Amino acid sequence: MSATPQSALLLQKQLKELNKNPVNGFSAGLIDDNDIYKWEVLIIGPPDTLYEGGFFKAHLYFPVDYPLRPPKMKFVSEIWHPNIDKNGDVCISILHEPGDDKYGYEKAEERWLPVHTVETILLSVISMLADPNYESPANVDAAKEWRENQAEFKKRVARCVRKSQESL
Amino acid sequence: MNEQTTQEFDFKDEMIDEKITAQQEAIENEIAREQKLISDLIKLDSLLDEYSLEDTIYRSKIIELSANFSLVRKTRGDGNCFFRAFGFRYFEAIMGKPDEVKRLKDLANKICTDLNQLGYNSFTVDDFKDVFVEELERLADKSDVKLLEEIFNNPGSSDYIVVFLRLIVSAYLQKNADFFLAFIETYQSMKEFCSHEVEPMYKESDHIHIIALTNALNVSVGIIYLDRTDQTEATPHNFPEDSNPNIFILYRPGHYDIIYKN
Repeated sequence: MSATPQSALLLQKQLKELNKNPVNGFSAGLIDDNDIYKWEVLIIGPPDTLYEGGFFKAHLYFPVDYPLRPPKMKFVSEIWHPNIDKNGDVCISILHEPGDDKYGYEKAEERWLPVHTVETILLSVISMLADPNYESPANVDAAKEWRENQAEFKKRVARCVRKSQESL
Repeated sequence: MNEQTTQEFDFKDEMIDEKITAQQEAIENEIAREQKLISDLIKLDSLLDEYSLEDTIYRSKIIELSANFSLVRKTRGDGNCFFRAFGFRYFEAIMGKPDEVKRLKDLANKICTDLNQLGYNSFTVDDFKDVFVEELERLADKSDVKLLEEIFNNPGSSDYIVVFLRLIVSAYLQKNADFFLAFIETYQSMKEFCSHEVEPMYKESDHIHIIALTNALNVSVGIIYLDRTDQTEATPHNFPEDSNPNIFILYRPGHYDIIYKN
């Protein structure tokens, strides 16, 4: 194999493609132009959800053996959501390491597949924003608040949306 | 249970999860150190060492097998073993035969078209196909076992080949979903079955995977079942059933290795 890892070539291809044909709902670029493995994405809060109007910045960190293994994703913008922990780390089943089956609930859910791309990952994240999974929360307080105090939950999310607009 | 003990309990659970994960990683690393993805050729009767003297069922079956089979290549037990064993043995069978290599290459391109029609993004699928074809073409004009071993023991190329073989199975099952749907029980659709049981790396293979792969590539494979059932002979099973294979895979519960006929 050539000196440039296959994963770098694949990520370059995807970046080029996303710049040429942008996908609704997010935009993507690199954090540092010299490092193809670290991406910065801007996610538009999906319409008709509490996150509508927000512009949330997140980072994607790809391993060298992507796409055999998934990237990690971290929101840089403050965000309040049951499946995003308080450090911003996104916790959805398709971003879990392959073979990692310790959570029984994952069986019914989508898993990491080598054919996943930045686009399919972000579409999953956007659908997670619209439709949280309360059964396996990464932010237990957010999940609990959503269940027990929706008004307060909405207020917190609205604050995050406002903050994200201000920091644009 | 009061609030305090609930929290303690959760905390403990988390500790146990972490320990399990760490232990699994340690086991995986040990396997990776001790077992190459595809081993060198070893004698079939060296498998006897894996069974105690009292284990007469396995031992007598192995001795019986050695009348017709003499050599084995072991594969790493990482859930990809069927695909890796098949890939290696199939590449080995066609290397140095430009016509066969070309047939497989054309088939690979056609399968990519099928995958695109099934909604798969072409640049990810093509990436796996390109590596698959590139490595295959290095062997088109020469029978070079050393090079073949190198390709399949380099995780970069070896895993890409495994991914593409998995995609071949997925495409075939989805295209022939009407027929195969009867064999999948717990899944709503073939697409769902494939994204849970076929496409994820490290997911083990079953009959349905073997049928799909041999049909999709039009290749005949003999699986030799070596298990604890009460017969003296290991049971051979050809895919497709009425075929006469020259590629053989040795199955022991949960694992596939390559086996060579005399």
